[in-house]
Amino acid sequence: MSQTVDKNRPSPEWIADLRRRFPCETEIDRVLTRKLERRAGPPYAPVTLAQLQAGTEALLRTQLATPFTVRDCRWLSGGASKLQMAFTLDWTPPAAGAVSTPLVLRMEPSEAITETSRLREFQVIKALEGVVPVPPTYWIDAYGEHLPYPAIIYGFADGVTKPSKSSSGVSGVGTFMPPEIRETLGRQFVDHLAATHRFDWQRADLSAYDRPAPGTQALEWALNHWERVWEEDANLDVPLMRLTMAWLRRNMPPVDHVSVIHGDYRLGNFLYTEDDLRISAWLDWELAYLGDRHEDLSWCAKRPFGHLAEDGKTFLIGGFLPMADFVARYEKASGLKVDPARMRYYDIFNNYKAVAIVLATGYRAPRNGKTHQDVLVAWITGIAYSLLDELRTQMAEVL
Amino acid sequence: MELRPSFQIPALIKSLTDVVLPAVDPANKLAQEQGQLIVGMLHLMAQRLPLQYRYDRHELGSYVALSDQLVTQAAAIAEAGAARQALIEAAADGRALLARAGAEPGELEAANGLLRERVGALITAAAATADTAALREVNATVMAHAEAQLLRERAWIALQGWEGPSAGLPAVETLIAR
Repeated sequence: MSQTVDKNRPSPEWIADLRRRFPCETEIDRVLTRKLERRAGPPYAPVTLAQLQAGTEALLRTQLATPFTVRDCRWLSGGASKLQMAFTLDWTPPAAGAVSTPLVLRMEPSEAITETSRLREFQVIKALEGVVPVPPTYWIDAYGEHLPYPAIIYGFADGVTKPSKSSSGVSGVGTFMPPEIRETLGRQFVDHLAATHRFDWQRADLSAYDRPAPGTQALEWALNHWERVWEEDANLDVPLMRLTMAWLRRNMPPVDHVSVIHGDYRLGNFLYTEDDLRISAWLDWELAYLGDRHEDLSWCAKRPFGHLAEDGKTFLIGGFLPMADFVARYEKASGLKVDPARMRYYDIFNNYKAVAIVLATGYRAPRNGKTHQDVLVAWITGIAYSLLDELRTQMAEVL
Repeated sequence: MELRPSFQIPALIKSLTDVVLPAVDPANKLAQEQGQLIVGMLHLMAQRLPLQYRYDRHELGSYVALSDQLVTQAAAIAEAGAARQALIEAAADGRALLARAGAEPGELEAANGLLRERVGALITAAAATADTAALREVNATVMAHAEAQLLRERAWIALQGWEGPSAGLPAVETLIAR
């Protein structure tokens, strides 16, 4: 715990100092600043389905000119970050007949384990429609004007995040992918990543994303983002995190091709249909930004998001394919090189970021009763220590 | 180590109160009653946990004082001779323990927090030096400390199962033995 700053009641001076010391993208700055300004306020209050239905109807009244009905509201589980309500909308889309559409409302709690922008999430999914499978996005309440907190309304995408007969831990960690589905799904897993990284974002409507200059600006913003999160939320400081950030800043590799980065591209964050083995939607775009593809490449290759093959030795990325095959297929599909030195850099970056999320925000949000599932977020805090140990091993190799 | 009862118990209470108990079948009176009792017991634990050590220390001081009085008063009671001798020895042990039981747990936590913060600030400041030899030394020291620290922390939460049994983590008791 800090001896000089009360992080549970941040002062305006402290917030201003953080903003000055860690300049990051405009919308990320807005979201993080809002989080701090609201922190001393009340904890998250439980929201009923009836309240969410009423908020959804209020939002839709601003968007739809014809009568509609919201019905069959029910909770969805999954994920450690946002609340989700499934429902059916009876409505008449413009230039179409009356239809019933299954939809999902995805809403923030008061503070989440990842504090992100619904506007950025909405924009990047819209931008990638037709590029990779994404759920159709319909409407957004970017600033919580109609619902208790900011929210997006998505189309309900068919599919499962893991084989129906497979078991897994929290958030899809530890899922086993059977051999008979690896080739078909693995091919899509790599190709969709390549397509995301090749996407021409310059012409997309991504107004909530700052456009980095060539070189290291994208990375500097990202480092500032995650160090700011660490400063804002960490309870006990961790010397290894300080050492790591100093190394990351001394060794920034320039970005050779600025891509849309998913930010959490991995097993557990896509849906696929089991009858035809087709990835139907990539989910959880809330951490997306414009940066270096090696972040996604390194992240999806992490041990918790894959498993060993039947030989007991070969690690399969995402439970699908070995690293060499993954790299070869990605380079062919994207036309972009995979640089081992930058992979190593982003291995370290990703562990810093993951620890900032689970140990800093994963502590602070439930500490102040700010989420709809404090016990889950508090539980996840425990994974930080194995992540830190992996980070220690990585740092020992580069120091 | 962040996973300590002062952090965990409020999260348990909030999830039970906000999510779990409202979903318990109102007709299941046994489950309803026990759910409420769990929340009540957790509130009591959260309230008293910070005082537990002080309470035990105070109680020990009180029993040492009682023992001293009884030892004096029983000096003339022949029938109590053996029991009195045993009490003298136990009171001496208690007095010695009290002499070692000084700081409050909260003070230890605060001292750890301050040192972590100051160590972190030194690491960040030292990273700006051009003296690579000195920086290497600092880095090596921090890395060696991190290895032992993280082994303790991983062992502390081993029951959560993040690393599985093959991680071969030692029992935390062996790592924090005096």
